[in-house]
Amino acid sequence: MSVTDATIALFLENAAKSAAVVHRAAGAAKLRSILSEIVAQDADVFCPCVTELEQAAAAGGVRLVPGYASARVTVEEVSAAIAETGSIVCTSSGGKAVQASLLPAHHVALVPRDRIFATLDDYFAGQAAAPPTNLTIITGPSRTADIELNLVIGVHGPERLDIIVV
Amino acid sequence: MHVQLFGTCLVNTFFPGVGEAVVRIFNRFGVEFSFPKEQTCCGQPAYNAGYIPEAKGAAEHFISAFGGSNDLIVTPSGSCAAMVKHHYPELFRDDPVKLQAAEQVAGRVYELSQFLVNVLKVHETDLTGSGRVTYHSSCHLTRTLGATQEPLALIQALRGVEFVPMPDATRCCGFGGLFMAKLPEISMAIADDKAESIIATGADTVTGCDCGCLMNIADALGKRGSSVKVKHIAELVAEGL
Amino acid sequence: MNRQTSLDFRTNAASAIKDAALRKAMRNATDTFGTKRTVAMESVDFSALREKASAIRMEVLDNLPAYIAHFTTQATQAGANVHRAADAAAANSIIADILRSNNVRMVAKGKSMISEETHLNAHLEKEGFEIVETDLGEYIIQLEGETPSHIIVPAIHKNRQQVGRLFADRLGVDYSEDPQVLTKIARRVLREKFLTADAGISGANFALADSGSLVIFTNEGNGRMVTSVPPLHIAILSIEKILPSLADLPTFMRLLPRSATGQMITSYVSILTGNRKAGDATGARELHIVLLDNGRSGILKGDCREILKCIRCGACMNVCPVYRTVGGHAYGWTYPGPMGIVLTTLLTGMAASHPLVDASTLCGACNDACPVKVPLQEMILRQRIRRVSEGFSPASVSMGMHLFGLAVKSPLLFSTGERLAGRFWSVLRSAGGENVAGRLPLPTKLPFSRRMP
Repeated sequence: MSVTDATIALFLENAAKSAAVVHRAAGAAKLRSILSEIVAQDADVFCPCVTELEQAAAAGGVRLVPGYASARVTVEEVSAAIAETGSIVCTSSGGKAVQASLLPAHHVALVPRDRIFATLDDYFAGQAAAPPTNLTIITGPSRTADIELNLVIGVHGPERLDIIVV
Repeated sequence: MHVQLFGTCLVNTFFPGVGEAVVRIFNRFGVEFSFPKEQTCCGQPAYNAGYIPEAKGAAEHFISAFGGSNDLIVTPSGSCAAMVKHHYPELFRDDPVKLQAAEQVAGRVYELSQFLVNVLKVHETDLTGSGRVTYHSSCHLTRTLGATQEPLALIQALRGVEFVPMPDATRCCGFGGLFMAKLPEISMAIADDKAESIIATGADTVTGCDCGCLMNIADALGKRGSSVKVKHIAELVAEGL
Repeated sequence: MNRQTSLDFRTNAASAIKDAALRKAMRNATDTFGTKRTVAMESVDFSALREKASAIRMEVLDNLPAYIAHFTTQATQAGANVHRAADAAAANSIIADILRSNNVRMVAKGKSMISEETHLNAHLEKEGFEIVETDLGEYIIQLEGETPSHIIVPAIHKNRQQVGRLFADRLGVDYSEDPQVLTKIARRVLREKFLTADAGISGANFALADSGSLVIFTNEGNGRMVTSVPPLHIAILSIEKILPSLADLPTFMRLLPRSATGQMITSYVSILTGNRKAGDATGARELHIVLLDNGRSGILKGDCREILKCIRCGACMNVCPVYRTVGGHAYGWTYPGPMGIVLTTLLTGMAASHPLVDASTLCGACNDACPVKVPLQEMILRQRIRRVSEGFSPASVSMGMHLFGLAVKSPLLFSTGERLAGRFWSVLRSAGGENVAGRLPLPTKLPFSRRMP
């Protein structure tokens, strides 16, 4: 899918508005450099290490743990992103554990630039007729305003979401 | 030009000065008018309480009092104008003959500020006033009739008057017709919030197009010991002639 | 513990008005939501969206049985067990049975207004199950033993000091009134529950017929937890929540968060299709979907059927001058504000809730705010008409209306009435009380009509 610069820019703008921290990486080296800034050296990181991007990210000397349940950070490639809302999409296709984007306190989402859809309609139209078991559209970290409508970031889901467009 | 004047029962019983202000405005602009003597009430109190036969009776009476004419019907009340314009045809939707009569009358009704601005262009004439005036935009006037600009045009046409918009001008004042009698505690609390908004503007006068609202607002302002004056748009314009 | 009923609406409201903390909380909440909603709507064409949303909802309502059947087939094919519950008792019983046959002890629960409607928690607790509410607002009111006062922010009536004291008393933590600190406490306490719960119970904002999917909009992450971490997931929703397909979702994704909280979109929109299948590493192993009727088929046949378009956004109550003043508990049932007046009187019947039809000034602000164009103002009026025809209007009112009906047709009677009112004003004043007659000015000695030529 060919994605325009305007779409990428809109995606980054809207993602930032949702309190996600956004980054751009031209290649693997820059990706690893960003990761070294945002992930502490001694933090336990879960990374599926299935895709090229994930493998490139993991090669940067992060401390990998086998399961997401005990990890502090998940670094993973996500299935898609949507510019209209600044969202990333995680699905259960291909045996992926969507809980990896839920349980750890810090989620780092790797977005291949050619997986950014302009609108929600574009995204849904581009999917197969039968959705996977779990399709979660994620916009920013978890939050609540249940107490006096006071916004608090970080409730049961991740407290921080970083998005790296590669 | 010749119009029919519908005074409304609130003006008739509690605020005859508003009616007299309307007459002064008509006289100033050469509007001849008749006051059909058979008129009583538009029937809102029954309609809003769910008493449809009584509401229909009121509507039929109004239609016969104002029927047989092609004159515009002018009334200094947004809620009464909305009742006639929008609800009379609904009341008779199952009776083709009565519906036709209802629509004929409904099509001729104008709330006062809509008549003054859209027909008479009063806001383009030389009007004066003084002080700081804020405006309460009553519910039926705003949402049913869509008269959001006309009252403002009149206020802003008064040379010497400083218009101060009220936050939440379109929020209900808590009158609601019989609501103020059925749930007075809530009505007074809502009116108190409106009084707070008015006082916060620093205006010395609040105006509006519905006597029911203004009456409720005056009571709330009084309870707060406020000296803000409450005037119907007709009175404001008549004073500015 | 609040046991206010709809029949006591006026008394409930009067107490609520005297509660300064509650009034402050309600004003803050509704004003904030109002502003946020207005700002959020600037980024979309609200008028066009709501036309589209209303049309989609009506299409489903006009063909509901077919859509329910289609959803059921598709959801079953995806691996869900679909149950139909005719009423609250049936739904509660079905869910208790599922829990029992799975040897469940503790349930982690996501927010569900439908479960409030059926009193699910009370039933399950009576049957011996431990139910832990995990939405922060619901968790707060569960600890307090209260019911929600708003359909989106259930604990909106509470201020931070009250929540701080509650947590200190019930959880044994140090007192803090900092929402950040209180939220982190809840994160810590509830994380353990998510990970050890035997089952998760959730609601659903929508159900998609074509794919048999459930759609859940959340911000906190608890909705994701309870639907994917425990091995068993039970979702309960009412039948009218169905949308035709995934293609219809964007319209509601644009409308619901903006209307509810003023957000462009919630942190999470979960689309769940069936249970965990071979090759999956995500999803409950067993998924049960309970579709509740509880009177909705009846409403569908009547003149207030458009209330079933409601997508539970809360926009109507946020703009309602009455709700803003009295809060949600005064309404005495699950749903407050304008949609609450209509749904409560339809579902519980006039005998149980008729005073609610008066809880409105008919200002129409709700009509303007509703993202699916439910004609709430007209429906409240229709329910007032129904109250009269079913005999729940007080005899004194009917008598007064009858007299009004006579007087209004006769200028002579009408002016006589005006003259009498003037003559006996002091009597009327003491009869009506300061609250009514005291707020009206003195009738004029010379009615306007008598000054006319």
